[in-house]
Amino acid sequence: MSGADHGAWRLVARRDFWVRLRERSFVISTLLNVGVISILILARAAGGGGPPSFDLGVVGTGPIVSVANDAAALGAEGKIAVHIVTLSSAEADQALRDGSVDAVLSDGRIVGFHDVDGTLLALVQTSAHAAAVEAVFEQHEVPQAERDLAARAAPLDQLALEPRSEQQTADAGVAFIGVLLLYGQLFGYGTWVATGVIEEKASRVVEMLLSAIRPQQLLAGKIIGIGALGLGQLAVIGGFAITLAAATGAIDDPVAAIGPAMLVFAWFILGFAFYASLFAAAGSLVSRMEELQNVIVPINLTILVSFIISIGALQDPNSTLSIVASILPVSAALAMPVRIVLGAATPAQIALSLILLIGSAIVLVPVGARLYAGAVLRTGARVKLHDAWRAR
Amino acid sequence: MLELIDLRRRFGDVVALDGVSFEVPPGRIVGFVGRNGAGKTTAMRISLGVLQADDGQVRWRGDAIDTAVRRRFGYMPEERGLYPKMRVLEQLIYLARLRGVPKDRARARAQGLLQTLEVIGDPGDRIESLSLGNQQRVQLAAALVHEPELLVLDEPFSGLDPVGVDVLANVLQREARTNGVAVVFSSHQLELVERLCDEVVLIDQGQIAARGTIDALHASRDRNLWRVEVRGADDGPWWDVVPGVTVARVEGEAVVLDLGSAVDPQRVLDVARGAGDVVSFGAVRLTLAELFREVVS
Repeated sequence: MSGADHGAWRLVARRDFWVRLRERSFVISTLLNVGVISILILARAAGGGGPPSFDLGVVGTGPIVSVANDAAALGAEGKIAVHIVTLSSAEADQALRDGSVDAVLSDGRIVGFHDVDGTLLALVQTSAHAAAVEAVFEQHEVPQAERDLAARAAPLDQLALEPRSEQQTADAGVAFIGVLLLYGQLFGYGTWVATGVIEEKASRVVEMLLSAIRPQQLLAGKIIGIGALGLGQLAVIGGFAITLAAATGAIDDPVAAIGPAMLVFAWFILGFAFYASLFAAAGSLVSRMEELQNVIVPINLTILVSFIISIGALQDPNSTLSIVASILPVSAALAMPVRIVLGAATPAQIALSLILLIGSAIVLVPVGARLYAGAVLRTGARVKLHDAWRAR
Repeated sequence: MLELIDLRRRFGDVVALDGVSFEVPPGRIVGFVGRNGAGKTTAMRISLGVLQADDGQVRWRGDAIDTAVRRRFGYMPEERGLYPKMRVLEQLIYLARLRGVPKDRARARAQGLLQTLEVIGDPGDRIESLSLGNQQRVQLAAALVHEPELLVLDEPFSGLDPVGVDVLANVLQREARTNGVAVVFSSHQLELVERLCDEVVLIDQGQIAARGTIDALHASRDRNLWRVEVRGADDGPWWDVVPGVTVARVEGEAVVLDLGSAVDPQRVLDVARGAGDVVSFGAVRLTLAELFREVVS
């Protein structure tokens, strides 16, 4: 390949990159991604993220206040913050309605807006129950040693067969966002490759281009240019997501999120390398944008099914389906990163998956390029795969 | 010199090219004529490497053509095509750069061509906003922007108004005469081909039916035709008295006679004057269109 040859794909890549960057659909997809991820992160920051915290309204004085204080003390042991807000009975309903308190404790009852959070209820119940028991002990002058015995017997040790650490819960969140992004990028940018091919075919400019450069250069430039844009968009969205998550406290350690983010980039590159030439070949078979859907449906369905399996892998990363999906090249780009982030993939599985995916991409790129070269100059009716393969 | 040597190409059962050979020398304009489906576009696409031949060769300056050589060719496809949403100047620069022209040179050349070809509109306009005639001029600029050594133009005149035809004709003549570019173009406008071209290649059903300079074509095809109009010759075919004369056709009051190779035109004139008043008498030169019809019929 001569020096001038070497530059042709780069010119094509640069054009495709900048043209798409200026397109409205790119701006919209970036904003949409940023919006969806913001919602996910903010929901996590408000809800599941970090240790839980409650505002407990208290109406009344005396024993009811000490029950509330005991509940707060009990919560503090489990790193659950319970803030006591003293209210008059007139203020109670309004405080619940405007959300300034999560529940209101008054004599003999606890009131929530829709309901009362189970954790908060348990804390208050336990405190109230302990206060009642304490009163009975007091009445019967039970010795301190027996009181301590009764208190020690109370809590049960909570265990799990496969305990999920706090870090793993955070990992599942990162993996979910990652697989969602990967799915969107593979689907969106793959479709863009097909669209770009059809555009050049429909406007007939492809014959001008192919009188100057070879089909492989045109195809490589298109895939690399559009892929680079997809990667750039991922970087922007990933950077935004990590910054926002760190700022809102949805994740404790932003540096720890960079690892999974890099994993998403790497698997996007691998997955895109696998799918892009198929999208290009599919696009080259038709001459009009209206026919786009007909030819890319099989590819899109494959990606969609892989996505659904990968969402399942979030729950059960060691199921047979998850393991097989993470190794097969058609679904590995979505399923394997999930299992890696969750710590479920073994080094051997990762190695096998990489070998198969890279190997099949190496086989598919020239196959896609040959189909593309054979079909891209045929306008009119849809080109049959067999004819495209044999055309040149 | 571009040489097409015994090109063959089939599409399924259809034979598009059946041993096509001709040359396009530098500094010459070659007209490529033939009926629709005769194989013109296929031959041109193969010359540009856009299509592969089943058999045969294309050579430039005696060598087989590779990508680097092909980059110095200029092409105007039958299917006009540019990026509709790309801006005129940007597009020309891009196409020039794909062929290895440095950016600054590409820009200067593109700007010059937009003026020479009298493209109306702003160089920053999108292609799709131009009129069809202007789009066609930009298309020609795209074929010329990298200062090619060979121009292959498929139907460059179709769709142009008379002014556009003149502009394009001037550009082609200048490229050939001044810059020594080898030019080949296909066209159905045969009077234009006759006026512009040094040589004509006539293709029919995938085979070269005739080729050579316009004069040589006439020499090989012309029969000795004379057009005579005589008034007052009521006695029927007065030319019957001259042996060897046949009627080629009748044109209203006049008759076109084929004198063959032996008959003296002065003898025919004498007979005509005897038959009535001779209004006109002159040799008939077939137009290219007539030659064309004769060859392909």
